[in-house]
Amino acid sequence: MSITVSFSVNGKRHTASFEPAASLLEVLRDRLGYKGPKLCCNTGECGACTILLDDKPVNSCVVLGADAAGAAVTTVEGLANGGELHPIQQAFIDAAAVQCGYCTPGYIISVKALLDRTKTPTPAEIEEAVSGNICRCTGYTKILDAIRLAAERMQQGS
Amino acid sequence: MATSEYTILGKSVPRMGGVERVTGAGIYGIDLTLENALHGGILRSQYAHAKIVSIDTSEAEALAGVHAVVTAADAPDVRYGRTLLDRYMLAKHKVRYLGDPVAAVAADTPALVRQALKKIKVVYEPLPVVLDPEETMQPGAPTLHEDMPLPKNLPPDAKVKNVCSYTAVHVGDPQRAMAEADLIVDEVYETKMIHPQYLEPRIAAARLEPDGRLTVWANAQAPFSVRTDVARLVGLPLNKVRVLSAELGGGFGGKASGITSGAAVEPICALLALKTKRAVMIVLDKAEETIATTIRSGARMYLKTGVKKDGTIVARIGKVIYDAGAYSGFGAMAGARCTNMLGGWYRMPNCHIDGYVVYTNKQVCGPVRGPGGPQAAFAVESHMDSIAAKLGMDPVELRLKNTPGPGDKIIGVTKLRDVSLGEALKIAAEKIGWGKAALKKNQGIGIATGSWIESAGPGGGAVVKVNEDGSVTVHIGKIDMGTAPRFGIPSIVAEELGVPVSDVTVVNVDTDASPWDAGTVGSRSIIVSGTAVRLAAIDARRQLLNLAAKQLEANPDDLEIRDKQIRVKGTPAKSVALAAVATAAHNVIGEVIGRGYFDNEAMVAHEKEHGSSQPFAAHACLVEVDPDTGNIKILRYIAVHDVGFVIHPAAVEGQIEGAVAMSLGQALCEQVVLDENGRTLNPSFVDYLMPTINMIPPIETVLVPGYPGAGPYGAKGAGEIGCVPVMAAVANAVFHATGVRIRKLPLSPENVLRALRAARDTPAEKKGA
Repeated sequence: MSITVSFSVNGKRHTASFEPAASLLEVLRDRLGYKGPKLCCNTGECGACTILLDDKPVNSCVVLGADAAGAAVTTVEGLANGGELHPIQQAFIDAAAVQCGYCTPGYIISVKALLDRTKTPTPAEIEEAVSGNICRCTGYTKILDAIRLAAERMQQGS
Repeated sequence: MATSEYTILGKSVPRMGGVERVTGAGIYGIDLTLENALHGGILRSQYAHAKIVSIDTSEAEALAGVHAVVTAADAPDVRYGRTLLDRYMLAKHKVRYLGDPVAAVAADTPALVRQALKKIKVVYEPLPVVLDPEETMQPGAPTLHEDMPLPKNLPPDAKVKNVCSYTAVHVGDPQRAMAEADLIVDEVYETKMIHPQYLEPRIAAARLEPDGRLTVWANAQAPFSVRTDVARLVGLPLNKVRVLSAELGGGFGGKASGITSGAAVEPICALLALKTKRAVMIVLDKAEETIATTIRSGARMYLKTGVKKDGTIVARIGKVIYDAGAYSGFGAMAGARCTNMLGGWYRMPNCHIDGYVVYTNKQVCGPVRGPGGPQAAFAVESHMDSIAAKLGMDPVELRLKNTPGPGDKIIGVTKLRDVSLGEALKIAAEKIGWGKAALKKNQGIGIATGSWIESAGPGGGAVVKVNEDGSVTVHIGKIDMGTAPRFGIPSIVAEELGVPVSDVTVVNVDTDASPWDAGTVGSRSIIVSGTAVRLAAIDARRQLLNLAAKQLEANPDDLEIRDKQIRVKGTPAKSVALAAVATAAHNVIGEVIGRGYFDNEAMVAHEKEHGSSQPFAAHACLVEVDPDTGNIKILRYIAVHDVGFVIHPAAVEGQIEGAVAMSLGQALCEQVVLDENGRTLNPSFVDYLMPTINMIPPIETVLVPGYPGAGPYGAKGAGEIGCVPVMAAVANAVFHATGVRIRKLPLSPENVLRALRAARDTPAEKKGA
């Protein structure tokens, strides 16, 4: 048995058929080929699969694909404008916050959700926004630098 | 630091490979899609110790869409292992931990794989489960490996069993020296098993090619080790096996130890591909991985140290019980390192330490970031503070009193060249405000040091090809996981060839094309591949200058490469484009190909003669202990490191910060918890606690210049040593804050609270030590 669901990913309309139990992460990665959201814990604990579901950051491994019906999904693939990286993406590179890079797509989406909400996040707001994103490489120091750098550049740019 | 003589070295240029990582490109092993591939899965033992009576695969094989079911009967009768060959890729006769691979399936869909695995009928005869290595060593304990002999170097009077490796450290006359000590401090420390928990699950894919060759895809740190093991286990020569490295989403040693790390996921996948004559891919589930793949072993460490009243250490007698897990894995190496490091990195004139690596019914020891080191340092550096407390001496003073100097030896190193330990310690003490900072109630400061040996393991090569447009393609046998291969090594090539870093590509490992290498292991990338690419780039430059000399009618010695031009020094107008020279090579030498290698034998000989350029570190932290909850908050963390010449500051800092956070996890919360049957109680990330951003303060890294290492330009490795001092630094800070010495990890709220209460109930325990 399968269900058919329509939703948009990064502005592009998709109609996909899949088993009712399939997670949104499985649908995005295995059916639609969006490899940006990463599979890791599959229990909603690590944040590597974070995407925006109608502008709200969610762990796509614990959201049913069916729940995306009619929604606008944003993955990390949707952030760059042609060849130009989003300021958050650029900040992660410039601050050397990308080591293995496996947590990076989820991190960038969580930070985007934060900076879309507030241009001047407090340290507590930053900490809360990414407290669900585990990074095993950086010790978080340079990720914090990257978030601050992105916020600063986006303030200047706006 | 004289970075000014370089254009690129010493600068934090953007990491190569950053753009594809921030844009979410499908570059990792888990993103691999092979056309028409079958899905593979592994049946794992549900007993920690049992005889396999029978395996019936007929029902699974009968399922439509199932293409192969394999067991040990389908594989050559060959065992594997890092030091001892004690393990089959699929268990034969017996299973020895809960998670041991027993059978594997290839089918059309993941759901069918799961269904087929359930239909394999294995009859087990359960055997007694032994989890504590010290109990497993007893002569009356159950036997784990009937056909593995005890180590030949065991002391003749040792009444032990299930020991797979033994190391003895013996210097001077510790018994006599101990008798002359003013104070003897005798303690036992213990660390628990932790999983490296890289985020990307392990994958393996394999495909039998039309010419009979086997292609294997692996997200492994050491692709050549995987090739060696896979070829042996499926019975093919090395030229018939090609291993392609996928990009890695983290490793930390957990993906380093050939096929041992993944519990043979690569050869099992290869066996399925050979049987089905189809491409097969296996993706491990994260919870499956937590129970089945290699881990940082727990260690129990006994140490008794004799000191004089003035703090001079005169002798140490100790014992390490190192948990190998079900098979020897990396245990022999890690256990030996732990045993040596229990002797410390201070002057130690008399010492005896016995190190036993013991089989238990647990998952297997692997080389996790600084294998054996953090465990030993937790004991050694906590013990130093205990000694200081008993002597009534300042812990920093005690360490400085025993700090070795140039030419001295320490346990495991016959001669030191220059020693940054004292300077690092003083910087750490100064930065944290040792003895000066005004502390609030329940706050404490801890200091601990560490060292690491870099001369372990073989060398490796590099090939630097200058393309006809002047761009450069670099082949090394080490993979990138946020480490030097694309975070420092491109800078070396660019510096030597006078091209921008953006013109340099370091390609991923293909064992058909890349030079052999032991892999991205042992803090060795900058030393091995850094040296090799530097020499290869110099070789390529020499070829380019010889070719250009003809075109410019000049002496090659008078030429230089600057900004992609080869020009006569002092006469910049007389020049030719690098691209034109590289193109001209087609007509003369075919192609500009520089070759370089790191000669490990020469390095070892050099260090023997001139002394070892051992890296040292000193860490300091400020913590606050909540006496009601037992929760520890790390308020400040300072990591002072000597990494020799700094090729890429941000890459080095990143390694240290990451290593500190990983060990803070082990200090504060991480452990794999087993029940009495050997079943992991916290396999998923829901229960396996790891540090999030809330637990880790910004780590303040200080790099100490002036102590050149054995790597290129005097660089040292930096990937592992950051893990070494951390757990003791935290435990010492907790002691400073509470007066309670905790000798077992983790310092979780539960354990801290229990220790605080025990100290309150028995005041003699207070003052620790």
